[in-house]
Amino acid sequence: MQLYEKTAGELHDMLRKKDCSASEAVESLIERIDAVEGKVHAYLTKTPELARETAKKVDERLAAGEELSPLAGIPIAIKDNICTKGVRTTCASKMLENFVPPYSATVVHKLEHAGTPVLGKLNLDEFAMGSSCENSHFQNTANPHDLGRVPGGSSGGSAAALAAGECTLALGSDTGGSIRQPASYCGVVGLKPTYGSVSRYGLVAFASSLDQIGPMGRSVEDVALLYEAIRGMDERDLTSAQREYEPLHGQLDGGVRGMRLGVPEEYFGPGVEDEVKEAVRAQIGELERSGAVIVPVSLPSTGYALSAYYIISSAEASSNLARYDGVKYGYRSENGSSLEELYLNTRSEGFGDEVKRRIMLGTFVLSSGYFDAYYKRAKILQGRIGQEFASAFDACDAILTPTAPDTAFRFGEHTADPLKMYASDICTVTVNIAGLPAVSVPCGKDKNGLPIGMQIIGRKFSEKTILTVAKAVETLRGGYHSLPQIG
Amino acid sequence: MKIDIEKIARLAKLKIEPDKRGMFETQMEQIVAMVENLPEMSERYVGVDPENPMRLREDEVRPSMRRDELLQNAPKVQAGCVVVPRTVE
Repeated sequence: MQLYEKTAGELHDMLRKKDCSASEAVESLIERIDAVEGKVHAYLTKTPELARETAKKVDERLAAGEELSPLAGIPIAIKDNICTKGVRTTCASKMLENFVPPYSATVVHKLEHAGTPVLGKLNLDEFAMGSSCENSHFQNTANPHDLGRVPGGSSGGSAAALAAGECTLALGSDTGGSIRQPASYCGVVGLKPTYGSVSRYGLVAFASSLDQIGPMGRSVEDVALLYEAIRGMDERDLTSAQREYEPLHGQLDGGVRGMRLGVPEEYFGPGVEDEVKEAVRAQIGELERSGAVIVPVSLPSTGYALSAYYIISSAEASSNLARYDGVKYGYRSENGSSLEELYLNTRSEGFGDEVKRRIMLGTFVLSSGYFDAYYKRAKILQGRIGQEFASAFDACDAILTPTAPDTAFRFGEHTADPLKMYASDICTVTVNIAGLPAVSVPCGKDKNGLPIGMQIIGRKFSEKTILTVAKAVETLRGGYHSLPQIG
Repeated sequence: MKIDIEKIARLAKLKIEPDKRGMFETQMEQIVAMVENLPEMSERYVGVDPENPMRLREDEVRPSMRRDELLQNAPKVQAGCVVVPRTVE
């Protein structure tokens, strides 16, 4: 087994025992990127020199006998909507093609502090708006399980890089399913943390009340490890939660015996493919045989959640993206002699079609005469969805659903029809609307060998519970699996 | 519902090219038809999440980023200022 195939936990053990150096780990990853990136196209910017420099420092500390943090020397890659000082951060948009942030996101500072070598920045749908990475201004990322198919989105670069062995850990962001759906499509693990548990400072804003940065990895323990490293109060994020967090890494082996796991029928409706339903139900059966108590729960407003999500997220996006005017940073149009024309031309030339659709939808639902009918009702529904989850959690410890209604689709299959693309989020948006944590873990494959993910949803700040269930699923499936053959 | 795409685009400070107007109009009408699917609700709209009271930090003067660092991404700079088209006659 090559170093690039190892999980973060395995690499950490090897580093501690001096079975390999951080520099060797980083070199293995860089060689792997060189070998497969021409097929996968996960990276928008590669930073091998930065990674080598960090690894060298870790090796010096190792040689000096220093105790290492669990993430020291573990190669990571970062979704390109998270600001990295001195390293281009594009959001996969022409608007920010040449934007080099003068500051780093809080999560990036935490990684630097831990000595985590950063391999580069990963592709996404422009401004994180999309479910396939096809909205990237720069390139399409391919699913390592089938290069003719999408990796999901918007954190598609993160999921594909992990599945292809092009990084050991990855950071993504999730506004309506953008960590979990690509994790499901690429057969990796992705956690959308409780809103407020990870600082959003330095995450380029899409829908601020729903956005959350989260960890992605090839194993549940890896995701727990990265989550522990990035969570915590940050005074630079007003919505950051002040609380004590319990340790997670190495604490997830409790199993599901006696645990009450809720299954909402609303998530197994006609919009979800049969193979997906069967795989998730089969896994639920396995959990029951392992001693979990399966209880039916009801989340009656699920059918309206997609509407509420697109209203709220687009309204916030139309406001957040108003800052791109060609004046202080980002793309500026060469055309236009007045300030008004500068704004119009810059925004029209700099944004792609999907971003324009969302900005216009947001503008529409907030416009005079429509605010009460759309935005206000969506916000009331948001409260109702939160209450329905709270009632469901009176009867259970965690809720099990499919992560996505389908498996990875082919390039171009949904691009002409935005509504079809939006339906990819049908199982994930409720979690963001209610501010809850949820993890996607691989639970099977369809007839084409494409991964299927199971979503485990928890109460606010119950990451330990949902990761324990995820680890039980992973263990039942024989642990972490080897990388797919690419191409 | 009929969507006046030109009006919405104007409010959003976007210009939609004539050849794309039809596509955007159709798609926007479909999207609005989808999001209209909301139930009748009697609950009141509460703007703030009572479970998550946000606390503002103290308004203290602290060192921030340097002017040249902030201007390094500006598309056009002159004498430490951002250049924009003439706004007053």
